[in-house]
Amino acid sequence: MAEEESQFEEFEQIDFLRDRHVRFFQRTLQVLPERYASLETTRLTIIFFALSGLDVLDALDVIDRNTMIEWIYSLQVLPTEDQVNLSRCGFRGSSHIGIPYSTKGPGVLHPYDSGHVAMTYTGLCSLLILGDDLSRVNKQACLAGLRALQLEDGSFYAVPEGSENDIRFIYCAASICYMLDDWSGMDIQKAIEYIRGSLSYDNGFGQGAGRESHGGWTYCAIASLCLMGRLEEALSQRELDRIRRWCIMRQQSGFQGRPNKPVDTCYSFWVGATLELLDVFQYTNFDKNRSFILSTQDRLVGGFAKWPDSHPDPLHAYLGLCGLSLIGEPSLRKVHPALNITQRAFQHVQQLQQTWRDSTGSCSRHLWG
Amino acid sequence: MFAIITLPTVVLDATANLKKHELENVSCCANVNVNRLLLSVNAPHPCCQWPRALTCTIYHAPLVSRQEIPPVFLCFRDRKEWADLEPVPQDDGPNPVVKIAYSEKFSDVYDYFRALLKNDERSERAFALTSEAIELNAANYTVWHYRRVLLQALSKDLREEMRYITAIIEEQPKNYQVWHHRRMVVEWLNDPSEELEFIADILSQDAKNYHAWQHRQWVIQEYKLWDDELDFVENLLEEDVRNNSAWNQRHFVISHTSGFSDAMEREIQYCLYQIKKAPNNESAWNYLKGILQPLGLSAQPGLLERVLELKQTHCSPYLLAFLFDCYEDALENSKENVAEEEQQKTLKKALEICQLLAQEDTIRKEYWLFLGRSLKNKHGSSDPSDEPLADDPEPSVPVSEQQEMS
Repeated sequence: MAEEESQFEEFEQIDFLRDRHVRFFQRTLQVLPERYASLETTRLTIIFFALSGLDVLDALDVIDRNTMIEWIYSLQVLPTEDQVNLSRCGFRGSSHIGIPYSTKGPGVLHPYDSGHVAMTYTGLCSLLILGDDLSRVNKQACLAGLRALQLEDGSFYAVPEGSENDIRFIYCAASICYMLDDWSGMDIQKAIEYIRGSLSYDNGFGQGAGRESHGGWTYCAIASLCLMGRLEEALSQRELDRIRRWCIMRQQSGFQGRPNKPVDTCYSFWVGATLELLDVFQYTNFDKNRSFILSTQDRLVGGFAKWPDSHPDPLHAYLGLCGLSLIGEPSLRKVHPALNITQRAFQHVQQLQQTWRDSTGSCSRHLWG
Repeated sequence: MFAIITLPTVVLDATANLKKHELENVSCCANVNVNRLLLSVNAPHPCCQWPRALTCTIYHAPLVSRQEIPPVFLCFRDRKEWADLEPVPQDDGPNPVVKIAYSEKFSDVYDYFRALLKNDERSERAFALTSEAIELNAANYTVWHYRRVLLQALSKDLREEMRYITAIIEEQPKNYQVWHHRRMVVEWLNDPSEELEFIADILSQDAKNYHAWQHRQWVIQEYKLWDDELDFVENLLEEDVRNNSAWNQRHFVISHTSGFSDAMEREIQYCLYQIKKAPNNESAWNYLKGILQPLGLSAQPGLLERVLELKQTHCSPYLLAFLFDCYEDALENSKENVAEEEQQKTLKKALEICQLLAQEDTIRKEYWLFLGRSLKNKHGSSDPSDEPLADDPEPSVPVSEQQEMS
């Protein structure tokens, strides 16, 4: 009797609890308790996780799109009348600086207000997921802000005031240029050099030259090259085969981020998507991957955690879903592995870009990069 | 009634800005009113910054109790020294999204932070407030940036700032902003002398902290502190031979100092020694392959034989994969005078390894079989008497992401 019960329990544990995850993201979009204070400056990335997560769950109908769109536009750092702040434009992570709420320009001059490359990236993604046409995005200002962030070595700062610089922000930059269909925002060649320089002796990518190879930075490297359309130009077939090997060795049950480190749900996406971009994800073990991801599912509050019996958070909740989507979980929408939005949202991007091309008839932008 | 005050006693004007760790060592004898606190100090924290001017007024009040009462935090908006500044609330508009529910204390500190920021105020009180703001949220990069502006504008003592950032990193070693701040202070001081020891301490708590390793590499490269690093790495590998960060650091040090030509034999020996101690260690095998890869795995004389020997007693999926890579390298780089027969023998060995890997490293079974098929398609002879593989032959899948992206 006891054995039967435990087998039934085991079966239950592997159930994917769609509705719980929908509610998890809904709650995330509302109010978070003070212990989440460290997320203040990155709130726009949290919105992205929640919105894209709901999109993957095919549950965007539970939110008020217009409300979200307005709030995201209020985070845009717009040029002032005299455009003196052009190199600081983009999107903020939140209202933490204290700029009065506004969804239209001109921008307000403030000594410390500037965009953050990861917020510009997730802001644009979020708007696109919500079906917005980006007509209120000052694209030229965003691109000017982006150019100001690239260093001589090809990497990017996060903010014009200076910050750490590494491969994460190259990925953000490449995504921004890709979505805006305008590569004048970055020097592609320099970025490729930095990416190549980050390839480690063991054939994964580190955050920069000499640094330990890591699943997240490997994703940033490969996804950036794919978005730029330069994968096979930047890396030889032999190098690509070696990178495939490094990535596929990360699977232990789920995936780890570095050799000899524990598996963590988010790498099911970072490494899984990289393998997908390299056309070898099909050779991984889907069952073990799925079992691990679902073992980190929080059956009470929804969402996923990095490890079993840990607290879920928006990032792992979103990437856990993306990891499941990659292996073809039935109730989930497909995710575009390089841009990290659903294929549905990606089609919207493509249609939008077509209308831009049709209306301006501009070919000159495509000569860049 | 008068309060009974134990010595040493300090009475402070409530506008004195005490850091949290100072308050921890302090107990309230009596909570009198909002403008005065009567405190006794048990043991001052080494980092204490007592205000220079102590108001020595003893305020008489009824003694409530002698137990420890947590000190009352006085809001900035109630401090008269801040009365000139209009606090700036956060404005999320009519429909905030992902709103964080801050306590009154939190909002108060940050409302004043925003006010200072707006005016770009350069003052001691602004500097003190950044400490409060950091205490509440050390991930706010704007606060850190503003603090750096003030450090320079007020010519603050950077050695003291090093002590400050040391304490904060010890508490929050996985925060990007604190490490970046430390790097800036080290650069301004142009003094890396504390760094290696400090980072070693952080690594003793988490030997794989990526931020710590990154900072370490920066310091070593910037200030040319290579001399003792190989020893440091070897000690870490003695503690944990599976520490991938330490193996990476080993490669970093050698490639920037002696290079791998003269050191190659020594490094190979080192790897094989570590592999014998812990055969199932991907890091050691990745290192071995990594140092040999630039010249070609099949270029190193005698290596294949040594690995085949190891296969008998210290086998692992990593060893088998290494053998496969050796055979593949031999096939790729075969000289013109290598007979077709020799090639086919090598191919056969490689394919056997693939089959073995498909059995031993089952999670990657499909991948090993795919590798076998790809190798066979590339190097197989057209001889129809060749044995077929376990699975149906499949052409290797080309990378076609460019079509996907358009």
